[in-house]
Amino acid sequence: MLAALAALVLVACGGPGRGGGTSSGTSGGIHNPSDARGGTLRYANSGDWDSLDPADTYYAYTWNFARLYGRSLVMFKPAPGAQGATLVPDLAESLGRSSDGAKTWTYTLRPGVKFEDGTPVTSKDVKYAVERSLDKTTFPNGPTYFNDLLDLQGYTSPYADPDPDKLGLKAIETPDDRTIVFHLRKAFSGFDYLAQTPATMPVPRAEDSGSKYKEHVISTGPYAFQTNELGKRFTMVRNPQWDPATDPNRRPLPDRITVDLNVNADDVDNRLISGDLDVAIEGAGVGPSAQGRVLGYQGLRANTDSASVARLWYTALNPDVAPLDNIHCRKAVLYAADRTGYQRAYGGGTGGEIATNMLPPVIPGAKRFDLYPSPKHTGDIVKARDELAACGQPNGFTTGISYRAERPKEKATAEALQQSLARAGIKLEIKPYPLGDYTRLYAGKPDYAKANDLGLIIYGWGADWPDGYGFLAQVVDSRVIRATGGNTNLGIRDPAIDQMLDQALLATDTAAREQIWQGIDRKVMEDAFVLPGVWARGLLYRPPNLTNVFISDGFQMYDYLALGTTRR
Amino acid sequence: MGAYVVRRMIAAVILLLIVTAATFVVFFLVPRLAGATPEDLASRYVGRTASPEVIHQIATKLGFTDPVWVQYGRFVKGLVLGAAYSTGPTTVHCPAPCFGYSFLTQNPVLPDLLDRLPVTMSLAAGGALIWLLAGVSTGVISALRRGSIFDRTAMGVALAGVSLPIFFTGLLALAIFSYWLGITAPGGSYVPIEENPLRWAYDLLLPWVTLAFLYAAGYARLTRAGMLDTMGEDFIRTARAKGLPERTVVLKHGLRSALTPILTIFGLDLGLLLGGAILTESTYSLPGIGKYSVDAVVNNDLPKVLGVVLVGSIFIIVANLVVDLLYAVVDPRVRY
Amino acid sequence: MPEMSGQGRAGTAIQGRSLRQIAWRRLKRDRVALAGGATVITLTLVAIFAPVIVAVLGHPPLEFHYDKIDPDLQVPRGHFGGISPDFLFGAEPVNGRDVFSRVVYGSRISLLIAFAATMLSVLLGTVLGVISGYFGGWVDTLISRTMDVFLAFPLLLFAIALAGVVPDRAFGLTGDTLRITLMVFIIGFFSWPYIGRIVRGQALSLREREFIDAARSLGARSPRILCTEMLPNLAAPILVYSTLLIPTNILFEAALSFLGVGVRPPTPTWGGMLSEATHWFQIAPNFMLFPGLAIFVTVLAFNLFGDGLRDALDPRSR
Repeated sequence: MLAALAALVLVACGGPGRGGGTSSGTSGGIHNPSDARGGTLRYANSGDWDSLDPADTYYAYTWNFARLYGRSLVMFKPAPGAQGATLVPDLAESLGRSSDGAKTWTYTLRPGVKFEDGTPVTSKDVKYAVERSLDKTTFPNGPTYFNDLLDLQGYTSPYADPDPDKLGLKAIETPDDRTIVFHLRKAFSGFDYLAQTPATMPVPRAEDSGSKYKEHVISTGPYAFQTNELGKRFTMVRNPQWDPATDPNRRPLPDRITVDLNVNADDVDNRLISGDLDVAIEGAGVGPSAQGRVLGYQGLRANTDSASVARLWYTALNPDVAPLDNIHCRKAVLYAADRTGYQRAYGGGTGGEIATNMLPPVIPGAKRFDLYPSPKHTGDIVKARDELAACGQPNGFTTGISYRAERPKEKATAEALQQSLARAGIKLEIKPYPLGDYTRLYAGKPDYAKANDLGLIIYGWGADWPDGYGFLAQVVDSRVIRATGGNTNLGIRDPAIDQMLDQALLATDTAAREQIWQGIDRKVMEDAFVLPGVWARGLLYRPPNLTNVFISDGFQMYDYLALGTTRR
Repeated sequence: MGAYVVRRMIAAVILLLIVTAATFVVFFLVPRLAGATPEDLASRYVGRTASPEVIHQIATKLGFTDPVWVQYGRFVKGLVLGAAYSTGPTTVHCPAPCFGYSFLTQNPVLPDLLDRLPVTMSLAAGGALIWLLAGVSTGVISALRRGSIFDRTAMGVALAGVSLPIFFTGLLALAIFSYWLGITAPGGSYVPIEENPLRWAYDLLLPWVTLAFLYAAGYARLTRAGMLDTMGEDFIRTARAKGLPERTVVLKHGLRSALTPILTIFGLDLGLLLGGAILTESTYSLPGIGKYSVDAVVNNDLPKVLGVVLVGSIFIIVANLVVDLLYAVVDPRVRY
Repeated sequence: MPEMSGQGRAGTAIQGRSLRQIAWRRLKRDRVALAGGATVITLTLVAIFAPVIVAVLGHPPLEFHYDKIDPDLQVPRGHFGGISPDFLFGAEPVNGRDVFSRVVYGSRISLLIAFAATMLSVLLGTVLGVISGYFGGWVDTLISRTMDVFLAFPLLLFAIALAGVVPDRAFGLTGDTLRITLMVFIIGFFSWPYIGRIVRGQALSLREREFIDAARSLGARSPRILCTEMLPNLAAPILVYSTLLIPTNILFEAALSFLGVGVRPPTPTWGGMLSEATHWFQIAPNFMLFPGLAIFVTVLAFNLFGDGLRDALDPRSR
C-alpha cells in the first residue's frame, strides 16, 4: 500500500533521454503574453516517446503534452508558478466528491464533449480507459496507481473480460453516461491526483487496438493526430470536434504542432538556438555545449529561464558492500568527497546548488543542514582519515562506483569522486551500465550490486510536485526494496525511518508532517547512507518567437497547453 | 547461368540462416549462459513499476521461457509463414516475411526498417555518386599525369582520406561548415526527397561529402593503379598505333578495363553501406538503418537486431551476387 | 660454397640479391614510406615512454585542474581550450585534465590493441588461409564459407553487442586488462577473414608451383611442406597486409570507443575522447581536434609505411 501511495505522488526520474525535472518556477510571470492564434509550433525530443497511448506513458513532459490531445477527469491548471500545481476539473464538472471516508469517489462529466470523430464522450469511455490501463503486459510503461488502489477483485484486463461490453470491472460504476464512481480498497484523500493522470482520458472501445492504439490515439483535446511515424515524428492539427464551450482551461494558440523524435540532444539545442525549433520537449534544460554558448552570449542569455528543480542528484552508499557496511567508512566517504567537483560535473552553478542533505530546498518544509561540513565544500580529509581509522581501514579501501553509461554528467561525477576520494586513500573502480537496465539488472538489484562491489551508486531522484512524502518514500523506505531488482531505494535500510514514514501518513497537520520529513532527512544523513550531490536547476532556452511562455509548478517546465508562436 | 543463380540463391539462404542463428546466439544464448533468467531478459521490456508477477507474464508473452531453439524456430517460421501477435484486444497477423515485433516499443520491425531504409539509401546513393565521380576521375588524371604535382597532391589527399575516421571528419565538418560558417545544414536534418528534393539535397550535402571523402580516396588509388596497369598493356599501344585520338584510347580502352575491379569493390561497398552506415548516421544523427541498429543493440531489442542483421546480410549477399553476374557480362572469359 | 663471380673487374663480385635486399633498397629510396616508418617508430616510442614524456611536458593524465575551468561555462579559460606552454593541447572541459597527456596516454591503448588484434587476426588468417588453400576440397569449402559468413556480418554491430554482454569479471580478469583483452579478441576475431582470403589465394597458386611438387615427390609430408615451403613464400604478402591491417584496426578500436563500448573511464582513449567531445566541440574545439589528429597521424603513418612496403616487395605495384 505504501508503495502505491508513494507512486501516486511521483513521476519517477530516469528513463530515456535527459529525464524530466521539477521546478519552483523562478520566473513567476508570463514571457511574451499573447492570444494570437496560428502558426506551427515545433517540438523535438532527444529520445523516443514511451508511448502516446494515455494508458502507457509515465513522464512529466508526456503528461504535460498529453493535455493537448486528451482530457482527463481533472488537470493541472495551465498557469504560471504555484498556480500551475493546482488541480482544476477538466472532463469532469468539478473535482471529485468523496464519500465513505474517502473510499468512494464520484465525478460528473461535462455535457457536449466529443471524440475527434464526433462521437459523444460518456463515462463508459472513461471507465474503459482506466480498465485497459490496468493491463500491464499490454501497457508496461504506465504507472500502477489504479492497480494498487482500486478494489479490483481479481480483474486484470478488459481484453480478458467476459463481459460483452468489456466493462466488467466492479470497482468502477457508471450509473449513467455522465457519472463515474470509483471504489477504492482503502481511503485515499488525494484521489484527484489520480484522476489527473492520462489513464482517465477517454478511449473509445471500438477504436481500441491495444498496443497499436498509440499509432492513432483518438483525441478529445484541442488537437488531433494528423500523421504519426513511430519513433520519428508526429504532427497534430486542430481538432474540429473540440468545443471551447466545454473547456474553460484550454486556449490553444498554434494551428499545427510537430514533434520530431530521436533527435541527437546536441542537435536539439543547436536547432533551438538557431530558430529551427521552438521547444525541447523533455524540459530538462540545455546540454553543456549549448549552455556555454547561451550563457557566453548576452543576446541569448536574456532568453533563458533557470528553473530550480525538486530533484537531487546523489550517490548512494551501499551498506551491503564491505567495508561500507560500517557507518564510519560511509562517513569517511562523506567527509572526503569534494562537493564542488560534483557540482561542476552537473554544469556548475547553472546545473544546481551544492546539496548537503536530501530534501531539495524548494520542497515546502525542507530545511538545509550539513552534518559533514568542510571548507568551501571541498572535503575534510583529516576527518575522513579519522573515520577511516574508526572503521578499521586506516589506509583506505577499494570499492566500485557505478553510473549510467548514457549520461556524461554521471560519468564526470564518477571521475570527480574517484579523484577526490583518492585523497583519503579510498580507491574507486568506475563501472558504467546501460541506462535502461540500471535499476532492473544492475545497481538497483541488491544481489548484483553486492556481488559486483557497487559500493557507490550514482543516481538521481525527482518528485512530481513539491511534497516531502513524494520525494522520500521511494528512495528511503526499506520495505519497497525488492530482491528481484528495479529498486530506486539503493540500500537505505533503517526501521526508524520506515516508522517515521508511517507516522507521517497518519499526521493530518501539515506542519507536523513537515517536521517528520525533516526528521527522516536528518536520519538518512546521520546514518550516512547518501552522499548528496546537487539540488538540480535546469537552464531552459526560449526562442524569441515563442509566446505565452511560463513555467508551471505542476510539471516544472514550460506549460505546453499555453505556448504559442509568432512564426507564421 | 540459370543453374548457377539457383545454386547461389540456395547458398545465400543457408548463409542467412547461419547469420541469423549466430545473431541469436550472441544476443540471447550468451546472456543466458552468463546466468540471466528469462525474467532478467524480460525486465528490460517492462515499465518502471512492474511487479515480479508482471515481469514473469511478460517473459512468457515474449517467449523467453521457451528453449532457445524453439524461439529461433519461431523466428524462422515467422519469416517464412508469417506470425500472429496479440495487441491486447485482438491478434494481428504479421504476413511473411515477418520480422517480429520490437520487445521494447511493440512496433512491428519490418515497417520500421522499411521506413528508415530511404534515409540510408539517400545517404548511400548520394555519397556513392560523389565518390565514384570524384574518385575515378582523380584516379584517371593521376595515372595519366603520373608523378605530376596533381598526382602527388591527389594521392596525398587520398591517403589522408582513408586515414580519417568519419566521426572525426564529420564533427570537424559540422563545426566548420554548419556552426561556424553556417552554410550547411546542422546535424540531424533530414527531409524525404518526395517532400522537398532541394531541401533533401541541402540537408544531406555534408554527410554525402564526408562519406564520399572517405571512399573516394580508396577509389582514386584503385583507379590510378588499374589505369597504370592497363595503360601499359599491348592493346593500348595498338590502339594508339591505330591513330585513335588519345581521349578515345584513355576513356574507351583504358578506363573500361580498369573499371572491372572498381565495379566489384563498388558493389560490395554499396551493399555494406545499405546495411547501415552506423558511424555516419551516428555522427550526423540521421534516422537511418545504422542508427536504428545501434539503438536496437543498446536496448538489447532482439527482434530489431535480427531484422537489421537480416537486411544488412541480404544487401551484402545480393551485392555479391550482382557483382559476380556482372562479371560474366563485362568479361566474356568468365563462365559458370 | 663457390662464389658466383662474373667477369667484372677484379675484386668486385656481383652478388645475387635476395628479395629482402631488393625490397630494402627500394624502401630506402621511398622517402614518403620512410617518413611513415619513422613516424610509426616515433609513435611507438611515445606510447612506451608516455610516463616520461608526460612527466616532462604535461601533467598526470588523471589529474584534475579546476583552476583552468570557467565555473559558469565549464569550458577551459583562455584561447582555444586554454592552450599554453603548460597545457600544450589545452584542458578538458569540466575537470581541466591535460589533453596533451591524455592524447599521449591514449596512444598506448590504441597501439596496444591494434598490434595485438592484428597479430591475432594474422595468426588466425594465416593458419586457416594456408590450410584452406593448400588442402582444398571440403576443408577449403568449409573455411571459405566461414569467411563468407564473417564478411556478411555487420561487424560493428556485433562488436558492440559482444562488448556489452561481457560482465565485469571474466576469464579471471578485471578492469582495463579485461576490456583491452576483450577488444583485442573482438577486433582480431572479426578481421581475420581479410588476411585469410589473401593468404588462401596465395596458397592456392603456390600449391601448383614446381617446388611444392618437387617437395611432395621427395616424400615430404604436408605439415613440413606447409611450414618450410609455403610459409616462407607467404611471408611477404602477410607482412604487407598486416602492416595495412594495423591502421584499420586502430580505426576499429577508435570506432568502438567512440560508440562507448571500449576501455572504461577514466583511462584515456582517442575514440572515447572524441565521443565526449561531441558535446563540447562547438565551445572547446581543442578537445575534439587533438585526439582526432592523433588518430589521423597514426593511421596515416601506418598507411604510408604499409604502402611503401608493398611497393618494395611487389615489383608490379606502383
